[in-house]
Amino acid sequence: MSACREIALLRELKHPNVISLQKVFLSHTDRKVWLLFDYAEHDLWHIIKYHRSAKANKKTINVPKNMVKSLLYQILDGIHYLHANWVLHRDLKPANILVMGEGTERGRVKIADMGFARLFNAPLKPLADLDPVVVTFWYRAPELLLGARHYTKAIDIWAIGCIFAELLTSEPIFHCRQEDIKTSNPYHHDQLDRIFTVMGFPQEKDWEDIRKMPEHNTLMKDFKRSSYVSCNLTKYMEKHRVKPDSKAFHLLQKLLTMDPTKRVTSEQAMNDPYFQEDPKPSSDVFEGYPIPYPKREFLTDEEEDKADTNASKQQQGGGGNDQSSAHGQPPTKRVRVMPPATTAGTSMVTSEYQHMHTGNVQGTGSNSQQINFTSGNMSQTSNTSSTNGQPRF
Amino acid sequence: MAGNFWQSSHYQQWLLDKQDLIRERQSDLKVLSEEDYQKIMIFFANFIQALGEQLKVRQQVIATATVYFKRFYARNSLKSIDPWLMAPTCIFLASKVEEFGVISNSRLVSTCQTVVKNKFSHAYPQEYPYRISNVLECEFYLLEMMDCCLVVYHPYRPLTQFVSDFSNTDDTILAVAWRIVNDSLRTDVCLLYPPYMIALAALHIACVIQQKDLKSWFAELSVDMDKILEITKQILKLYELWKNYDEKKEISAVLNNMPKARTSPTPPPNQGPSDGTQMSQTSQST
Repeated sequence: MSACREIALLRELKHPNVISLQKVFLSHTDRKVWLLFDYAEHDLWHIIKYHRSAKANKKTINVPKNMVKSLLYQILDGIHYLHANWVLHRDLKPANILVMGEGTERGRVKIADMGFARLFNAPLKPLADLDPVVVTFWYRAPELLLGARHYTKAIDIWAIGCIFAELLTSEPIFHCRQEDIKTSNPYHHDQLDRIFTVMGFPQEKDWEDIRKMPEHNTLMKDFKRSSYVSCNLTKYMEKHRVKPDSKAFHLLQKLLTMDPTKRVTSEQAMNDPYFQEDPKPSSDVFEGYPIPYPKREFLTDEEEDKADTNASKQQQGGGGNDQSSAHGQPPTKRVRVMPPATTAGTSMVTSEYQHMHTGNVQGTGSNSQQINFTSGNMSQTSNTSSTNGQPRF
Repeated sequence: MAGNFWQSSHYQQWLLDKQDLIRERQSDLKVLSEEDYQKIMIFFANFIQALGEQLKVRQQVIATATVYFKRFYARNSLKSIDPWLMAPTCIFLASKVEEFGVISNSRLVSTCQTVVKNKFSHAYPQEYPYRISNVLECEFYLLEMMDCCLVVYHPYRPLTQFVSDFSNTDDTILAVAWRIVNDSLRTDVCLLYPPYMIALAALHIACVIQQKDLKSWFAELSVDMDKILEITKQILKLYELWKNYDEKKEISAVLNNMPKARTSPTPPPNQGPSDGTQMSQTSQST
């Protein structure tokens, strides 16, 4: 299901800040679908992690002053394109924001992992009916946590606000202990508590329709406004040395507006004074500086097999050494490379919701060998990993 | 996707040239007359419509499925894959792409059996032979042949916009033109022209039927009226054909002449439709 939707959308999307699908390979005998994407060396998950550990070790990293601004602008640009084309991303998080390494598109943001994106101009069924849980909790808008049945552009904007805050502070702003992600109940007490602890409890006048949310009763039962009276975003960001009179803070406030109807749109955000102020955002977020971040590590076939059989993917997975512990997030990207003897430089990346199989590019048929894979990400989707026995395709 | 049609795969890859279409069809037209070929395509569009209605999917899903079906046979002979299998496969794929949700495997096959038995026994007297493994296998060929271009633009949206442009109150014109758009799926126009032009042609015909004078409105559009008239002509040709055609009586004979897969057209369950070359691999997934 998601594979099919993903391909349909990806096939049509064309924007410098949205990952582009280079080719689809269909393997008839085992019903596997391979997607070949642009290869992006970096992603915000790894970039933020690098900054956080540098901060912990009191090291400075030499990046342009306005890198965060450039990143945010390009994220907004990509999302604006998606929204203008009636596509919602629905799963924005640092791991899904890629950044190109050395090359013609150096330092360019690419929004990826559109697997959960869907058309919403004329939803045929209430969107929540199809996939009960979609956005990673930390980046999930309050209305979703209160049981909103329909996804909106505003939900993506909230996630961008979260990412912006995380870029400014190197800490996930709504960090929350994560347990059972598979729950179909959208209401999530701890996550709401975390949001209120940072933002304060929403005032009636600030979010009038909160009373209409499906989980409003639970909310009133579980939470007391008085527990959060001294909480607000200004305080939180000041603690992280973001000045409340800065343009960055003002824009952050507009992105992280509790009432989804009052949240800025991507277009409004792109026209915000923050971006008109010098230094202006640039198309190479690194602005010609050397890129300080390590390259992706690659898995060889043997390691991959070992990783699969030992069920110790986190230790074996490229760049995944500490992904599961330090930050409480599942490993985001597993990268592997063909042995040089077969196809030098070929790399494949699977998204976390997709499952890697032992088959490789050569297994998809002879024509795939004629394709130059040197600059491609390969992600694979397959029905065989589905648990309910229904083909995902 | 309500995005930009002019950047879509529909526009860039799937507006075909009339001459191309005729050329691709040559091998089938050696066996069938052009009229019989059209009757077969109409018949299977009706079959898709009946399946879609029985499965209670929206018209949008049915329309997309019909376009998939036409795309496949625009590039392949009728004998490459049995259209009796291709039709439900198109519905199956379209319902996923159009976000209707997955039709369950068993429901799809049982619906095929029911619809064939209750509504199409005059054309297919045997039991419906295909199983879900056949559909899944067929789906991959369909995907591959369409080069994974799955988002299809339809005339319904531009039609609604055009009608609201000249009148807020005229529901009859919209209803009539809407039905004409549905009928246009029984012609080649969805393979040949952008959907907004088909919408205009449908509107044009609807105006003639309703005796509504929209000449000045049409005159203000900067659109190639010759093309609109070409589309109009093709749709009117369909109505002409329908006038003296009783599908129930005649289709069986036409289908008998249809080029078929080289081996048995009704394979036993759990085996591919056995075209020998195209579908020789047995699907592993169920």
